[in-house]
Amino acid sequence: MPEPSTSRDLRLDFFRGVSLILIFIDHIPENVLSYFTLQAVAFFDAAEVFIFISGFTAALVYGRRLVTKGALYATAQVLRRAWQLYVAHIFLFVLFIAEVSYTATVFKNPMYNDEMRVTDFLNEPHIAVVKALTLEFQPNFLDILPLYIVMLLIFPVILLGMQRHWLLMLVPSAGLYLVVQIFDISVPAYPAGHVWYFNPLAWQFLFVTGAVLGNHSAHARSFPRLPRLAFWTAAAVVVAALVIRVSWTIHGVWEPFPALFLTELWPVNKNNLAPLRLVTFFAVVLLVAALVPRQARFLRSRAARPLVSCGQQSLEIFCLSILLSALGHFILSEYDSAITMELAVNVGGIAAMVVTARMIGWYKEMDRMPMPQPEAARPGGKIAR
Amino acid sequence: MKRRSLLCLASAAAVTLALPASGRADPPECEIPPGLLEISLKLPHLAERLRARQPVNIVAIGGASTKGAAAGPPDLAYPHRLQLALAADYPEVPITVVNKGVPRQSTQQMVERFPTDVIAEDPVLVVWEAGISDAVRGIEIDDFAAALQAGIDEVRNRAIDIVLVDMQFSRRTSTVINFEQYLHALHRVGDLNGVYLFPRFEMMRYWSEQNVFNFDEVAEDERARLAAKVYECIGVRLAQAIRAAVQ
Repeated sequence: MPEPSTSRDLRLDFFRGVSLILIFIDHIPENVLSYFTLQAVAFFDAAEVFIFISGFTAALVYGRRLVTKGALYATAQVLRRAWQLYVAHIFLFVLFIAEVSYTATVFKNPMYNDEMRVTDFLNEPHIAVVKALTLEFQPNFLDILPLYIVMLLIFPVILLGMQRHWLLMLVPSAGLYLVVQIFDISVPAYPAGHVWYFNPLAWQFLFVTGAVLGNHSAHARSFPRLPRLAFWTAAAVVVAALVIRVSWTIHGVWEPFPALFLTELWPVNKNNLAPLRLVTFFAVVLLVAALVPRQARFLRSRAARPLVSCGQQSLEIFCLSILLSALGHFILSEYDSAITMELAVNVGGIAAMVVTARMIGWYKEMDRMPMPQPEAARPGGKIAR
Repeated sequence: MKRRSLLCLASAAAVTLALPASGRADPPECEIPPGLLEISLKLPHLAERLRARQPVNIVAIGGASTKGAAAGPPDLAYPHRLQLALAADYPEVPITVVNKGVPRQSTQQMVERFPTDVIAEDPVLVVWEAGISDAVRGIEIDDFAAALQAGIDEVRNRAIDIVLVDMQFSRRTSTVINFEQYLHALHRVGDLNGVYLFPRFEMMRYWSEQNVFNFDEVAEDERARLAAKVYECIGVRLAQAIRAAVQ
């Protein structure tokens, strides 16, 4: 099989693959393995990694289209991608409805009347479905795709703006982020009283930052060497955050262990992407960029292959991960929730993601291969893209 | 709570050999993993009142599971079961537990009725069951935590003891509603304030894993009776925790 072009930055694929696996693990409620994901050791979690890399790669991919095929084509392609995500979102929503309707029908325990109000929207499907179509209804775990869709919808503007000057997009984006932090603005959702779990007005900053860096990298400009001071500051931030966050995790399991700065720092707001999440995430990005070279050998190793594959097919694998975590949780709650079963669900889900990613990769590869040219081209024959 | 689930997993393995959690004859179906009710916090005002053998007034505020309509009359809800269990423990002290459960209320709404429903009752201990409706309504964690803090402050400033009670567990509800963050926040707020949190979620999860109360296999009219049993266990265990916290 031909190697993917060497110019591809495998770090992006690798870390996005990692984030997809972690999203799967974190999305199974009460999963034992979530003790070992980012959220147990850092103030941020896989969502930040995913959104940042998505911004970065969007700028790389569509920036190239912009140069070779023009603004209109690049815009069309971004919107096509947004459409694919939208369709995926609706598909996942239908599955969610099926799961909730099933539960509401079979579960008749009077003790849980308050809890089962979560199914109240089934009484007004005509509204619930419309609200899902307008992205306002974001039930359990169907919350990150709407953010991603909105990011792609605004991306053509970001892409074109960045070509003029990188600050042209970054400054308004940072401004909006700050306004959201100061005035605690949230975006209303359905049912009344709910808000967008990932506030797009705040999270756009992370996406735009990724895009600006990706745009820089797309133009083959090398990043300036990190000043020593910046490196060591980032390292200090990362270590301090790690120590504090791990102390919270240990404290959660074993109370006598002191949780450092818990009173001062908790809760760390995720809806609005609290500065603590953002700053510690950027510090990690700096460190990774400085310490993991683009050509690092492990990125091409056998061990990294499954993760890289997942990262390369991110849209499909992302949707699959949401689907699998819902399915996994359903199995655990309906049949058996023993620890062995829980581990089996985790392993099975990750294996399914990796195998699917490899299959999609193979299919795309075959699709790209030129059709063997027959002596006389058949009329109306499809031409390989 | 998830953070505790590792401990529980470990202890669940040992539980078949475990001794009853207290010396008294507890209903066998109320069996819990050893160590689940370990409590280092104290309820000083309640302890003082009990020592002086003065009348004790307790308010249980919460949602539908506090009101307990699933079991039938309020006598079968956990607050009344708590009263019976405490009365048996302290026969020389008049103890009443007032039930202020109102279904479908967020934590903020509960705090708003603290002046009339809690303070006006002049309690020495408040049992506060919170978080279910907040998770159902998707209330932001920060707001949930702030409401809890306001309620705790209001009670403590008046020299009243407080115990928090977390959510009910059910395998079925957890497929459609995610309590994890709210549970986590509730435990954090309790932890930060040095307030004891009664681990109802973990307890009910254990009963679920052991298949103690099986609602699927009973007839419709039997369910209320089963619900009453669950509430009884919760009341008995809560009394056990309170007893430990006043010693």
